[in-house]
Amino acid sequence: MDLEDDTTILTTLKSFNTFISRPERPQLPSERSTGSGILQSQFKRNMELLEAAERVHSQNRFLQLDQEKKQMELSHKRARIELEKAAFDSARDFEHELDRNQELLARVKKLEGREIEVNKNLSDQVEENQVLRRNLETANKKLEERDSKLNTANTTIISLKDELRELRQKIQNQDLLFSTQNLEKQELQEQLDLQRRKYHEISQLCHTLQAAQSSCSDHMIKIKELERRLILHEQDMSIVKTVKSEVAKVSDLEKEMKRLREENYFLRESRENCSLLKEEAEGLRKKLERMEKTKEELVGVELEKQRLAEKLQAWENLGQSTGLNIRKPEDLSREVIQIQQREIALKEQNYTLNSRVRSVERLQSELRAELTQQSIKTMEEQKKRETQDSLVRRLQKRVLLLTKERDGMRSILESYDSELASTEYSPQLNKRLKEVEEVLQRTQSHNTEMEAQLTKAEQDVGALRLKLQTVELELDSLKKQQASSAESSSSVSKEEDYTLRKKIEDLEAERQRLEEQNNILEMRLERNNMQGDYDPVKTRVLHFKMNPTSVAKQQQQQEVETLREEVTTLRELVRSLQEGGAMLHAQDSSGIYTPNISLSLPPSKEVQDLRKQMESSELRNQRLKEVFQKKIQEFRTVCYVLTGYQIDITTENQYRLTSVYAEHMDDSLLFKKGSSGSMQLMETEFSKTLGEMVDLHLHHQKSIPAFLSAVTLDLFSRQTTI
Amino acid sequence: MTSTLKGITLKGSAELVAEFFSFGINSILYQRGIYPPETFSRVTHYDMSLQVTTEPKLNNYLTNVVSQLKEWLFECSVQKLVLVITCLETNEVLERWQFDIECDKSAKESSAPREKSIKTIQDEIRSVIRQITATVTFLPLLETQCSFDLLVYTDKDLVVPEKWEESGPQIIDQSEEVRLRSFTTSIHKVSSMVAYKRTDSA
Repeated sequence: MDLEDDTTILTTLKSFNTFISRPERPQLPSERSTGSGILQSQFKRNMELLEAAERVHSQNRFLQLDQEKKQMELSHKRARIELEKAAFDSARDFEHELDRNQELLARVKKLEGREIEVNKNLSDQVEENQVLRRNLETANKKLEERDSKLNTANTTIISLKDELRELRQKIQNQDLLFSTQNLEKQELQEQLDLQRRKYHEISQLCHTLQAAQSSCSDHMIKIKELERRLILHEQDMSIVKTVKSEVAKVSDLEKEMKRLREENYFLRESRENCSLLKEEAEGLRKKLERMEKTKEELVGVELEKQRLAEKLQAWENLGQSTGLNIRKPEDLSREVIQIQQREIALKEQNYTLNSRVRSVERLQSELRAELTQQSIKTMEEQKKRETQDSLVRRLQKRVLLLTKERDGMRSILESYDSELASTEYSPQLNKRLKEVEEVLQRTQSHNTEMEAQLTKAEQDVGALRLKLQTVELELDSLKKQQASSAESSSSVSKEEDYTLRKKIEDLEAERQRLEEQNNILEMRLERNNMQGDYDPVKTRVLHFKMNPTSVAKQQQQQEVETLREEVTTLRELVRSLQEGGAMLHAQDSSGIYTPNISLSLPPSKEVQDLRKQMESSELRNQRLKEVFQKKIQEFRTVCYVLTGYQIDITTENQYRLTSVYAEHMDDSLLFKKGSSGSMQLMETEFSKTLGEMVDLHLHHQKSIPAFLSAVTLDLFSRQTTI
Repeated sequence: MTSTLKGITLKGSAELVAEFFSFGINSILYQRGIYPPETFSRVTHYDMSLQVTTEPKLNNYLTNVVSQLKEWLFECSVQKLVLVITCLETNEVLERWQFDIECDKSAKESSAPREKSIKTIQDEIRSVIRQITATVTFLPLLETQCSFDLLVYTDKDLVVPEKWEESGPQIIDQSEEVRLRSFTTSIHKVSSMVAYKRTDSA
């Protein structure tokens, strides 16, 4: 630390020394440069001043630095003292630290020894631990094996229990089945007994039925025979009646026959008259027809007559109407002839007139041509005259001019002649004269030329005028021709115009119609286009396969199918329920149910009860019936045996009694119960044979039992003897 | 996209028209109640708020159809797009939204962009969609459960793609037609109209 401070101080001193040495150096170059002038001297002075200032400044700084150095030395010393103290303290601390370090080292060694021991112990223990773990693992494995064995044993136990349960259930089912079957067997046996009894009764009934049927059939045959005989009797009766009636009619017939014969004779006579009359009638009819025809003709003829009369009247009136002296057709013919003659004469006149007209027209045209020519000629003459007049005038003018010239020339000559004395001017005068003469000649020639041109022009104009007039004449003639022919040709052109106009109108009408059709078709096309129609030749309609509509339809179909399946399953359930109800009724006592019907148990119980009740009641009824039948049968047999009569009810209130000792099967007595309650004997074959007994017992004694007993006795006696 | 370019190219026009169809079909489905309104969400496009479906199956179907339609618009081989609404119980067609497309085929050859600003096209599209929304007031109510289908009328010589098949035009018998606005991108002209089954009471 002190070194560092020293170094700083030394560096500052060094810097200061360098700084001091610096200003000494620049002085030398300033001293060397002396001989330059005033500026240099001034410069030198300035520099010297600057140097002095710098020196002063440096001295100040030096003093400052000395002070600082001293302060710094003081501080340096203080710092050194402090540092020594600090060093001392630190040395002490260092020694303490060393002692501590040694102690710590000793501890460390001890600890290390311990550590080694502990490690050894650790290793031993780890080994023991491992051994124990192995033991544990083996024990665990054994435990697991035992557990597994136990589990398997448990499962086997459970399975065995289940089997046990199932077997028990099966046994129970079997017991149930057995019991139900026993019941069924009993029922069936009972039914069998019933059926056997029924069979016996039915067999008996059958026998009786057969007997009855045979008797019935015999009776039926007899009845038929009797009916046939009856019919024959009736027919015979009817025949007899008719024969009787016919016999009664015979007398009437004979009378009629007589009358008819007379009529016949009469009619034959009148036949001839008839034929005659017929011929007359035919003749009259034909006459009638002819008359009718003549009538019609008459009518027509009268009409014609009227018409002809009218015509005649008209013809006769003609004479009055026309004013001629006509009373007969001869007059009319005469008149007609006269008229015709007149006509002929007129036609001749007409023809002559026409020919004259044509000739006149020809003359006229010729005259016109001559006229034109003449007019042309006159025009030419006029022109000639005019030209000649103009010539004359010109000539007159020329004459005048010439006379004037002459006069002038004369005057000049005279003047010249008077002035002949002066000859100075003669050459000049001559010259002038010549010049004037030349000028005059020139003017004359010019004049003549102009006159010639004028005449030419006048001639041309005259010719043109002639031409114009001829053309005008021709035009007039042509116009006249056109006017005559235009009338004939205008009709033709008019017809053509008419046809052409008609065509135009038709075409226009068609055009309008076609335009309307076009508009209508365009409207239709537009409408179809709006509705979505398209031309299959040019366009095609596409859509995405998996589009929402098809997807929705598929979903709907699937829903429908699932619903249908549900419906079918539900129907099956219902059916099974109904069947299950019937099954339940049979198995009700055991109380076992199948899971399908478990839901519907409660309602079917009532049904079962009701069914049970119904069946029991039916059984009871049947049994009662059997019992009654038995009793009735017994009673009847007893009656038969004791009284000797078998009483059968054939129809309502009719009782048929058959005796034990009856000789034939159909020997029976019929008794009818009347409205008052008394029994009456009906007639049978057998009863006819017992007429005496009937009289005695029924009519006299009015006792049916006596009658019956008498009958039995009688039959018995017959039986025993026979 | 076309918004940065000055003119309209064939590709840009196809994209614009396909985009219009996508939004138009969505708004028709929302307005007519084919799908429940809670399955739609609001978005902003063409400077107006529109309803777009969020159901994934329907979205998938619509994107498939619209992408195929874009290709066909670029080839100028599609003539009409029809949205058909059928009643599920009776299988009757109740409504038909028909969009006729006229393509200027000279744009295929020239390939020079045409002068029409995007803004005017979008204004026209906006007015068409507004009119579609307004037509709901006079269309008869769809009381039964309905589903929809998209039909495309294309040229006969077009190759039918894999997932598409031919179908009938599914025309309504006894229909009333109403013509709506049209818009044009100067390459494609789309005119719209709606046909509905005449109700006997009216």
